[in-house]
Amino acid sequence: MVKAVKGVVVECDSAVKQIILGLNEKGQFIIEDLDDTHVFVDASCVDQLREDIDQILNENTYKVEDAK
Amino acid sequence: MGVKRGLDDSPAESQSRRRKNDGPIHDIDAEEDQDIEEDFSDKLVVPKHATMDAVNQSHNFQRDSVSYIFGDHDYTWLPLKTDHGSRPLWITEDGHIILEGFSPIAEKAIDFLITIAEPVSRPSHIHEYKLTPYSLYAAVSVGLETEDIIEVLSRLSKVPVPESILGLIRDCTLSYGKVKLVLKHNRYFVESSHPEMLQTLLRDPVIKESRLIGDDEPNNAGLITGKAPNAKDVVIPGVKKEVPDPNKAAGGSAATGAASQATGEDEIFAVVGLDRDDDDVENDDVHAFEISSSSVEIVKKRCNELDYPMLEEYDFRNDTLNPDLEIDLKPITVIRPYQEKSLSKMFGNGRARSGIIVLPCGAGKTLVGITAACTVKKSTLVLCTSSVSVLQWKQQFLLWSNIKPHQIAMFTSDQKEKFLGAAGIVISTYSMVANTRNRSHDSQKMMNFLKSREWGFLLLDEVHVVPANMFRKVLTTIAAHAKLGLTATLVREDEKIDDLNFLIGPKLYEANWMDLASRGHIANVQCAEVWCPMTPAFYREYLRESSRKRTLLYVMNPNKFQACQYLIRYHEERGDKIIVFSDNVFALVAYARKLEKPFIYGETSQQERVRILQNFQHNPKINTIFLSKVGDTSIDLPEATCLIQVSSHYGSRRQEAQRLGRILRAKRRNDEGFNAFFYSLVSKDTQEMYYSTKRQQFLIDQGYAFKVITNLDGMDQEQDLVYSTPAEQMSLLQTVLLAQESEADLNEDVEHDADDLTGNTTRRSGAGGGSVLSHVGTSLAGGSHGVKRTVGGLKSLSGGDQMAYIEYNKSVNLKDKDKKEHHPLFKKHYNKK
Repeated sequence: MVKAVKGVVVECDSAVKQIILGLNEKGQFIIEDLDDTHVFVDASCVDQLREDIDQILNENTYKVEDAK
Repeated sequence: MGVKRGLDDSPAESQSRRRKNDGPIHDIDAEEDQDIEEDFSDKLVVPKHATMDAVNQSHNFQRDSVSYIFGDHDYTWLPLKTDHGSRPLWITEDGHIILEGFSPIAEKAIDFLITIAEPVSRPSHIHEYKLTPYSLYAAVSVGLETEDIIEVLSRLSKVPVPESILGLIRDCTLSYGKVKLVLKHNRYFVESSHPEMLQTLLRDPVIKESRLIGDDEPNNAGLITGKAPNAKDVVIPGVKKEVPDPNKAAGGSAATGAASQATGEDEIFAVVGLDRDDDDVENDDVHAFEISSSSVEIVKKRCNELDYPMLEEYDFRNDTLNPDLEIDLKPITVIRPYQEKSLSKMFGNGRARSGIIVLPCGAGKTLVGITAACTVKKSTLVLCTSSVSVLQWKQQFLLWSNIKPHQIAMFTSDQKEKFLGAAGIVISTYSMVANTRNRSHDSQKMMNFLKSREWGFLLLDEVHVVPANMFRKVLTTIAAHAKLGLTATLVREDEKIDDLNFLIGPKLYEANWMDLASRGHIANVQCAEVWCPMTPAFYREYLRESSRKRTLLYVMNPNKFQACQYLIRYHEERGDKIIVFSDNVFALVAYARKLEKPFIYGETSQQERVRILQNFQHNPKINTIFLSKVGDTSIDLPEATCLIQVSSHYGSRRQEAQRLGRILRAKRRNDEGFNAFFYSLVSKDTQEMYYSTKRQQFLIDQGYAFKVITNLDGMDQEQDLVYSTPAEQMSLLQTVLLAQESEADLNEDVEHDADDLTGNTTRRSGAGGGSVLSHVGTSLAGGSHGVKRTVGGLKSLSGGDQMAYIEYNKSVNLKDKDKKEHHPLFKKHYNKK
């Protein structure tokens, strides 16, 4: 019996790749670690992944409104 | 168990919070803030109108496709006047004023706006100002009248001035500044050009009680009437002979300007008539009543409560009790136009007003201070932040003015001298004067001397760094008639700037950085933020580490190393002199050693510092030095033309501006096409990005533009860059990971100087907060005898970080050794002897 898992290739820069690897430690969703800038992940996790990465990257962004 | 842990955690938590939140070490921390708040509640009664609530009205207007971006700040509904094209301003309901910087009358409008409003942001084309109660008070204090302000605003505005703004202006200006507290012949007078106001005040029982009925015959109204002085006979020294009176000159040129423009537009140009109005008002008769000097504080407080805050002025020319000081600028000294302008704000009506003057670093704040002292010509007390600047002030005084060396005295931890003669200048530091702990006999004697006399003029350098309660202590112990605060960056991360307004006085003048740069008074600077990607290995560790260690990881990023090396190489080839700043000492040492450049940080000895700095200035082979935060201020290196920032103090806007100030005074600034360079190296995708953007805000508001460089051209071709192989990078990562967590601290590099302000504040916060974990490297006043608490690893405790122990009471220990019991085996042997 063949078991098929639908996956998505994610292309990103090396920093985001590290974030993805970090997130993977919590819930396994990486199917194959391809190279420095590519990773093959479970298709069902993509939306969640996108959200998590946005949140992590936003922590490092300064908005002028914050100051006011 | 749970409870216990909670207890254990709290100090550590507050510690880390403090490190994160407070700006540079100068800034007071949260606990201290609260003290200040309490201290003020009884003393500082802020007039009622000092709180302004923005009017939030919903307006019905056609929103278009971009409206959502502006939110509440969409002002498309404001009705334009028909001739709006020739008017340069918009005024919004919440007090913001937007100015078209390219309008032909912009320059005059700016002159007006900086008097009545605070500059918020001044890039080249569109400026933003904000009307605040404080700025309006300042406007009144320089002699503007309510109706003048409203009239000029409505003339300049493209839109009708909103009702809320009219209300604000009326509220804030009607009562403020109409009553003045004048010290004349060493008697205090409450003075006003509106007799009815004095009558109102006199009806108050408290004030009535403190009134003195003088010998000089009071007129029917019970008031003394006299002529107010005018600015005609005050000459600010150093102003070129052709224009002896700045006010008059301004009025004159304005008048000709208006005449030549005798078209339909001259209505708008009436702005410039303001200077004349100023004189007119002052020529009116003034009325006054005298109060006893003991009740001055009470009357001041009462007036604030009655909503008639008093302005303090010092009529220095009529002060006969305090002896004059023979001081004048040397004939060769000429002050620049903006310095003259700032001083004319201070001496506008022939008396000295207290206030703050804001000029960029390197724009000659010292000279402004000296010129002011030369104008007042009374005993002067200068307070600055460190003993290094004490020396610099003294040199500057000797350089620019004709004062005799014996008339200047310094009061620091190692020098306590008095001046000879009846009047003179004393230069000291804030902490020396504000210190309440036990002093040595000499300094106590000196303090008594300072307290016992009346000072004509108190000059406060770098006012922004001093915690407000320290200021209060200074201002209450020293009796000074006029106060002038000088600063480059009137921002604090704790937004406590407003306190200064009431402690010293309103902001009298703020220079426009871009303007000064375009006129060649300060250097043109190209600012750039260089994004260095984190290497995967470093970023992986960064994501795993605690927040403190993260600092170290993003600073030590190998790509940053390479970018730094590349920039140094590139600029050395161009013939630039480069300063590299790193707040983090661990990184500083690592970078400097790797790149083989000299470095200076807190522990570098004075001799070594001088040697390195001299080599940097004169030796063509030394073109780059690394400085820790000891170089932020008070190191004057006009040779430097390029600045690279590797690590910095979190999001401190002021540090960024102060550092930029290091290259603003570049010697070569007047060369054709000269540019100074300011690079900030930032590791991508880390917290540093956040801090970096925050830090830039102040400079952006001053009109500087930061270019973002994501990729340094030509760095790929560059040979033999450091840490280019993965193996080297791994070993660097190992070193970083093994480093102490405390290495990530930025605060440890404080100068160990007893009267250094920074050291002092840190110590105070440690003691006040009662936290057991005192800051690393804080020493008690007096230095040598204090207890030094350190948090460090085994390595540093055993001498790894150049730490040494002193053995106290050696003789006792030696004695003990002799008496020591010998082992029974040897006892016989010794007894035999």
